[in-house]
Amino acid sequence: MNVLETKNVSYKYPDGTPALRDVNFNASKGEIVALLGPNGAGKSTLFLHFNGILRPSSGQVMVENTPLSYDKKAIRQVRQKVGIVFQNPDDQLFAPTVAEDVAFGPLNMGLHPDEVEKRVAESLKRVGMEGFEKKPPHHLSGGQKKRVAIAGILAMRPEIMVLDEPTSGLDPKGASQILHILHHLHQEGMTIVISTHDVDLVPLYASQVYIISEGHIIKEGTPQIVFGDVETIRNANLRLPRIAHLMEILQKKDDLPFDKPYPLTIGEARRKLLKHLEE
Amino acid sequence: MFENTLDNYAHSNGLRDMNTFFKVLFAISTMLVSLISTSPVVPLLITFFMSALIIFQAKIPWKFYLKFLAIPFIFGFITFIFMSLFFGIGAHILDLGVFNLAVTEDGFNLGLLLFSRVMGGFTCMAFLALTIPMTELFSELERFRIPQIVTELAMLMYRYIFLFLDEGINMYHAQETRLGYSSYRKSFKSMGMLGSNLFIRTWIKGEQAHLAMESRCYDGSLRTLKAPESIRSIGIGKLALFVSFELILLICVYLTWNLRIV
Repeated sequence: MNVLETKNVSYKYPDGTPALRDVNFNASKGEIVALLGPNGAGKSTLFLHFNGILRPSSGQVMVENTPLSYDKKAIRQVRQKVGIVFQNPDDQLFAPTVAEDVAFGPLNMGLHPDEVEKRVAESLKRVGMEGFEKKPPHHLSGGQKKRVAIAGILAMRPEIMVLDEPTSGLDPKGASQILHILHHLHQEGMTIVISTHDVDLVPLYASQVYIISEGHIIKEGTPQIVFGDVETIRNANLRLPRIAHLMEILQKKDDLPFDKPYPLTIGEARRKLLKHLEE
Repeated sequence: MFENTLDNYAHSNGLRDMNTFFKVLFAISTMLVSLISTSPVVPLLITFFMSALIIFQAKIPWKFYLKFLAIPFIFGFITFIFMSLFFGIGAHILDLGVFNLAVTEDGFNLGLLLFSRVMGGFTCMAFLALTIPMTELFSELERFRIPQIVTELAMLMYRYIFLFLDEGINMYHAQETRLGYSSYRKSFKSMGMLGSNLFIRTWIKGEQAHLAMESRCYDGSLRTLKAPESIRSIGIGKLALFVSFELILLICVYLTWNLRIV
């Protein structure tokens, strides 16, 4: 079942520059979908359509198979269902303390303060930030800020989490902590949409990949299919995952028998190498 | 960065866990006593007492505290000099011998009173600023029925001051790296560019923050989780101590009503 879908969505900026062109994007329930594209391809613009912040110039956005309507009441429900975690946590964390920031969404939903407090504690625990309730955001590290930003969305109990570049600007440990959180959410059945240009991470978590370039989806499918089309990937100013690139070089330059599809993760490459050594 | 250390101390000091309302009450009533005193004795007493509290109880490093006090001290001292030279009539107690300038008894007393009130009031303020995190002050403001729009603005400003400073400092370093401040002329030009750029950046950041808030169902009013501590948790003992302290100060004010230093 598609929980999030765009049908031929096009969007022009107020000055007339086209930003999105006939975008068809689907996310099925419980899947992790990656939206891969270079800088300025329209990833963030597309995301802002998912919860009705931007309205498509033409086309339709569907959440749980109902087209988005843009009246006040409906839009509140959509924003509760589709939670967006912004790229720069400083844009998102505005409240003077961590707890107050996480409480912001649930309070806006009109929940009872007791329930809000429960949700704040619960979501901070899920991202491993319990004990930081009273800290101001400017005393946190980048990774911690990002986790608080995720907690702020989790506290609204969304059905779909949309994350704009969740690992950009983080150190390796910070990035892997974020991926762990996402992994757990995925196991609990959350639908997750991630935009990124970190191609090495995509095959690790995504079951479906979209490649967007100049406001247009140019390729979609499983990571195997998408990264199998090396030419499209490179034309979109992206690259293969390092592992796949290594395999490509080994095949083309050193005539080793590593055929397409190239392994995309360390695990796959290891299996393939071991198998080759045995032969 | 000065602002940052101030904020750090407010978040971790020896008096951090004391009831916020009590601290606010204490600082403000002491400040009021300092202001109604007509002799410099009580305000000066308050200055020393508050400083002792800040340094020994709240454990703020004295070096930092003195730096913090330096600005109001210089300001108060200059006022004192001007007051004693240009205000008041009556007996001259010191003739400077130039331009007919002289310190009058009246002026000297007035200047000293002003100086002591500045210091007394400011140390009370310092107590507020150094022992209470801004965030907790906001919830106290709500208790005092300050209009919500004011507290909302204060909350947002507090949060974004640090981002603004960061942004400004980063740009400043970037300009310095490319020798933007190597001469007076260049400094003025670079400063101007920094200012206008900061303005634009602030605008963009504000817009982005608004988008993020809208994504979380923002509808124009900031609701906060209100959980101000109950007044009961102050405890009878501390309350009694507080009341008797202020009473003693008031008695001192009464006793020194007509006391003049000169």
